[in-house]
Amino acid sequence: MSMLPPAAVFRLPWEVNSLKEGESVRTFGRLVCYQPDESRATLSAQHASKEHLVFVHTQFVEPFNPIIGAQYLVLGETENSEGVGVTVRARVLNCVDGVNIALLQRAVTEQRSFFAERESKQVEATHPGDGT
Amino acid sequence: NAVSDGAAAMDPAEEPPSILWGLDPVFSAFARLFVRDILQMTESIQIPGIYFYNFHPIYKVDVLGTVVYKRERDDFFCYGVDDGTGVINCLCWKSKLLKEEEDPNKCGDADFGGFNPVAELRKLREAQQRRCRLDIGELIRVRGPVKTSRQQREIMASTFYKVDDPVMAVQIAWMMEVPQLYRQFYDKRFELNAAGYRNPPFNADNLPVRSLNKIHLKPKPTDYKEKQNSSVEGEAERPFCNARLSQLLKEVLQVLQNEGVVYRKVKSQDEVYTVTTQDKDLLIAVKDVIREDSKREKYAEKGCHVLHILSAVRQRYSLNLSKAALELVLKTLECDSDIVSTSDSHYVAF
Repeated sequence: MSMLPPAAVFRLPWEVNSLKEGESVRTFGRLVCYQPDESRATLSAQHASKEHLVFVHTQFVEPFNPIIGAQYLVLGETENSEGVGVTVRARVLNCVDGVNIALLQRAVTEQRSFFAERESKQVEATHPGDGT
Repeated sequence: NAVSDGAAAMDPAEEPPSILWGLDPVFSAFARLFVRDILQMTESIQIPGIYFYNFHPIYKVDVLGTVVYKRERDDFFCYGVDDGTGVINCLCWKSKLLKEEEDPNKCGDADFGGFNPVAELRKLREAQQRRCRLDIGELIRVRGPVKTSRQQREIMASTFYKVDDPVMAVQIAWMMEVPQLYRQFYDKRFELNAAGYRNPPFNADNLPVRSLNKIHLKPKPTDYKEKQNSSVEGEAERPFCNARLSQLLKEVLQVLQNEGVVYRKVKSQDEVYTVTTQDKDLLIAVKDVIREDSKREKYAEKGCHVLHILSAVRQRYSLNLSKAALELVLKTLECDSDIVSTSDSHYVAF
């Protein structure tokens, strides 16, 4: 039977660094650097007046057309590489330049708050009377 | 983990009876569920192939996601679709167009004034092939019934195509919309007439009285003959009871008559009541009156007035027909598109 990979959950670029190894994620950022000899790309995103970098291992998606300065969406697994920190080993790397980042962030938050809301309702339903 | 995620977790004994499934609008829609929920929803024990999300019976879904796995066979594609909450296998049958081999000799032999249908058709086929053949990383939209084969849940695509989404506008819109659909529909328990079909359990008392009338009358729709004081043998010892029953029956029939639900075709010693909308001859008579008179110049533009129809049907069919009964007949005919209302009291037929 087919071997499906695990679901790649949406993470905001500044959350990637705190992830454990081997998690499937999708995130985004502006391509600031690409080193083909090392199969390494760096995405960057601004959040709370700070720049956050996402390191991407591009071996599986090569060759690709790197457009420095364009927005990219990456989907893959987290890895801990020595000296660099968390790297995403990309299964998918799409150029999505022109994407409305603010709206995308809102959609991600919206989906999360929906799941949080639903889970808290279920906890309430399975433990009625708790916390009243 | 499964418990905390399981919005779909359900005791199989709680499954709503299948006779009620069709009343739930979600049942006949392609539900836009998160893949995670499609993978976790409970399969029906009454009918495999039907699933339950929050007591909504579901058999077909609509998903949008990234292709993260693909396999091609002669007859179908298998795409693994990831919407960020889960990954599901989608079985996408190739259409005939996609399988047909290109014949290079066919094209370019005729030119119809700059428009070459053969070439256009080839372009169309190429466009379709482009939309059906997806690569990993591309966005796909899949609709179709959910199947469980070899312990694995998958979507048998009835429609599937590649979505061009260069700036993620479609994905973002989808991510914003789906939680709203959950809040408004999927996470709300479906309730029948605000009475709830599960708790308290479904019974006839929950139905509004008006539809009860119809339900009780329809199984024996033709004629009902009132048997005065002779309901059941052995009850004769209880004349009081019988008299009350008979009185009650009279009152009920009067109410039904006033509403036009039943009528007496002829006033005679035998009290025969006919269920108005089940009287095929009456329906035909009314239809004929309207059809014939719609042709007359006088009514051609505006249609026939209800009172005109009433007097014509009374002359032709039954003197006893009430206006209320006629209105029910008109409503039935209009629902069947046999007649068309031109105002709230005028009708035409073609």
